[in-house]
Amino acid sequence: MSGAVLAPIGVTVIGGFLGAGKTTLLNQWLAQPQARRLAVLVNDFGAVNVDQALVLSQDARSLALSNGCVCCSIGDDLGTALIGLIESDPPPERIVIEASGVADPGRIAQVALADPALRLDGVLVLADASAVGEQLDDPLLHDTVLRQLRAADLLLLNRAEDLPAHGRSALHRRLDDLLPHTPMLVVSPGADTGALASTWLGQGGVHAAARHAESSCGCGHDDEPTSGHGHGHSHGPASRGEPVDHREVFETWHRPPGAVYSVAALRALLRQMPAGVVRLKGLIATDALGLAELQFAGRRGSLRPAQPGVTTDTGLVVIGLRGQLPAAALAEALSQAESTMTDGAAPATRTTTANTGSQAVAG
Amino acid sequence: MSTITVFQARKILTMNPAQPEATHVAVREGRILAVGDLARMATWGEYTLDTRYADAVLMPGLVEGHSHLMAGGLWQFSYCGFHARTAPDGRVWPGCRSFDEVVERLVAQDAQMSAAGAEPTAPLLAWGFDPIFFGTERMTVHHLDRVSLRRPVVVLHASQHLMNVNSAALAAAGITRDTDIEGIARFDDGEPSGELQEFAAMFPITRLVGNVFRITGASPAALRNFGRIAQLAGVTTATDLVNDLSDHNHAGLSEVTAEADFPVRLVPAFVSMDGSLNLDQSVARLRERQAQGNDKLHYGLVKLVADGSIQGFTARLRWPGYHNGAPNGIWIHAPAVLKSMVERFHREGFGIHIHTNGDEATELALDAVQAALEAHPRADHRHTLQHCQMANDAQFHRMARLGMCVNLFANHIYYWGEAHLAQTMGPDRAMRMDACANALRRQVPLAIHSDAPITPLAPLFTAWCAVNRLTSAGRVLGESECIAVADALYAITMGAAFTLRMDDRIGSIEIGKFADFCVLGDDPSTVAPEALKDVPVLGTVIGGRPLPLPTAAALA
Repeated sequence: MSGAVLAPIGVTVIGGFLGAGKTTLLNQWLAQPQARRLAVLVNDFGAVNVDQALVLSQDARSLALSNGCVCCSIGDDLGTALIGLIESDPPPERIVIEASGVADPGRIAQVALADPALRLDGVLVLADASAVGEQLDDPLLHDTVLRQLRAADLLLLNRAEDLPAHGRSALHRRLDDLLPHTPMLVVSPGADTGALASTWLGQGGVHAAARHAESSCGCGHDDEPTSGHGHGHSHGPASRGEPVDHREVFETWHRPPGAVYSVAALRALLRQMPAGVVRLKGLIATDALGLAELQFAGRRGSLRPAQPGVTTDTGLVVIGLRGQLPAAALAEALSQAESTMTDGAAPATRTTTANTGSQAVAG
Repeated sequence: MSTITVFQARKILTMNPAQPEATHVAVREGRILAVGDLARMATWGEYTLDTRYADAVLMPGLVEGHSHLMAGGLWQFSYCGFHARTAPDGRVWPGCRSFDEVVERLVAQDAQMSAAGAEPTAPLLAWGFDPIFFGTERMTVHHLDRVSLRRPVVVLHASQHLMNVNSAALAAAGITRDTDIEGIARFDDGEPSGELQEFAAMFPITRLVGNVFRITGASPAALRNFGRIAQLAGVTTATDLVNDLSDHNHAGLSEVTAEADFPVRLVPAFVSMDGSLNLDQSVARLRERQAQGNDKLHYGLVKLVADGSIQGFTARLRWPGYHNGAPNGIWIHAPAVLKSMVERFHREGFGIHIHTNGDEATELALDAVQAALEAHPRADHRHTLQHCQMANDAQFHRMARLGMCVNLFANHIYYWGEAHLAQTMGPDRAMRMDACANALRRQVPLAIHSDAPITPLAPLFTAWCAVNRLTSAGRVLGESECIAVADALYAITMGAAFTLRMDDRIGSIEIGKFADFCVLGDDPSTVAPEALKDVPVLGTVIGGRPLPLPTAAALA
């Protein structure tokens, strides 16, 4: 294994039943200009369809694009495909995994929480509004589809325009009942979801996030990304189910570096995250783990000591759907989570066993 | 001028109801020329009498209708299962009857590795471990840390869905108390215990060891190891029920099966799981391979997988679902997709073997075959349900009406029967799991299998399971589903051959068929039924060619 310490590769899982629109979305994402090296793992390589002008090289199972993306067939073993990507030179910075039409994307996403070489950016689940109701009613499919929907950190609803208005509202009510805390976005007819990709995949540092927030905000007031408590604002509540213009899909909020947080309080926050947070991450100072990586996507998160060699406190970046990001609640919770310990010593949270591992206990 | 060899035996069990027993069999050009007494042999002209088996019992070479070539590849790692097993090199590995014995075995392996100059951090790999034999105690890092504190130790369970590792492995792979996912077993204090379940939890270890468990099986060396394991079990025809039939795989299979001394006829089933081949391409590849077989290499089967495994809680069950309340399992293909795959391969004339573990999956497979038949009537298709562990009488009856076959996983009764009774199925369904008697009552052509390497390749043991239905705890699980020894012996010969569409060439000792025999030290039709699994295999004959067993002495 390589001796160099590399930043964990962000993993996104795209799930949803057959016909929900995963292939269309992935084709759109592949065509986007990419700030980062992106690898997309797909089940049906034959369905990949990108402008030939973008293709640098292609064989039966993979293709490389001029924008820096590669797209590969998962083949018969996801583990093999993932290992291949992690060990490639240079490795991708982001991996998108297409879950099969009957797989549980949440289960697949766990691999990104298990392996230190990976990090979970989140699970996007697509649903075909004109079919998902029937799928949920089908006794052979009900639990499979429900499991997929429940795994979503963000649910994208396609083809809502194919339903009559009363059908749409009935579906929204049903989804609200089943998934009360899941952010949901209705995809406008013919919309290019590529813009979603740039936010979802592009989030890396504070400055990138702040730039995006500024550029997409458009409401004209001063943004001061490095001051105090960020600029969480909204254009009024976007009512659930209204088609949203993709250029203004997300809003971001930033917690600047500098504070030291209590590990216990952060873990409690991860378990009780305010609704509307699609994703949260950053490197922050903590009492018991030193510099630690905090990440949260949709419904679960993790707090881990930073990789050896990573030393910069970056603060936190949070994404939510525009109009739904709970900025005030987050600010309050994080202030409460700041450590009250006056000295640097902290109770160890890890028992030391016969410790031969190369990773030092944080301190 | 071809010579005739006449083999003489104490007794020959022919599996031919018209002539169940004999004492002599004549072989010419690799095929059976005559069966009966010595006088019958003489009518065909001069022969050479071969008396090496004069004190032994001959049966048709046993047929394994569901196994995997990987069973050959795993032997490059340390075996640490509960029961003794003979490796392809002839060495008998004693079973490890306690965690201490597992540790001892791995300590010896570690010492060997060091002596051979292996890197101190090169991983030590073992397989075959099954905690069900150790009661409620689980293996942990406390046990495996006694093997080495420095070298990662990875023990793959028999089911292949779990592993046990030591602290060095956890550390090298980066699995800690902060790794917050399902599948990581923990001590009360929250530290990982070293037991890892399912894909995500195992992935960091898989990556650490370079995915080695997966890539065994395809090389000519692994194929020859598989051949040896087959010989030791008396098997002369075996399936490889997951094969992409790629150029690489086909090349290895062609090379090895062309060798005169290769001891087993292989039947690879094409699995259409790789997204790089669509249905049209899959059909084309199958047709291409069908023309490229030989006497020991038979293409034409298609394998489709409907669901997962019962003991892994990934099988699809009908009401009332899993006994312990676990949620229903997973579809490998969406039901509509499975149906269209069945329809297409059926229409193209192939034999389809469908893995269904749960009864909901079985029901879907029956619906798929029925729909395919209604759209494209086809005589004698022999589509086979594999595993099919929870089928009930109505489903067996339906199989019969549809002209289908069934290959039941009888070994599960022994290896996982207690778990099925207590956790997965509960008493009513466990009593009739792998219901061989039901299949026979409804006249569904029956085979039984090992799914090696998940359980050991040993059809006589599989027959013992079907006859006795004893769990590892010694309990009889559903006496009414026990079958007679004669029926079990038929299932591991003609029954399996029928599901492979090779009953015209193998499975019984009759004129015209391949001269494939297994040589036994006892008469399985007269030993006590409880002793069926202990009948010793002394050798095999393939195409009239006697082959020595790969005992350590023979290979020296």
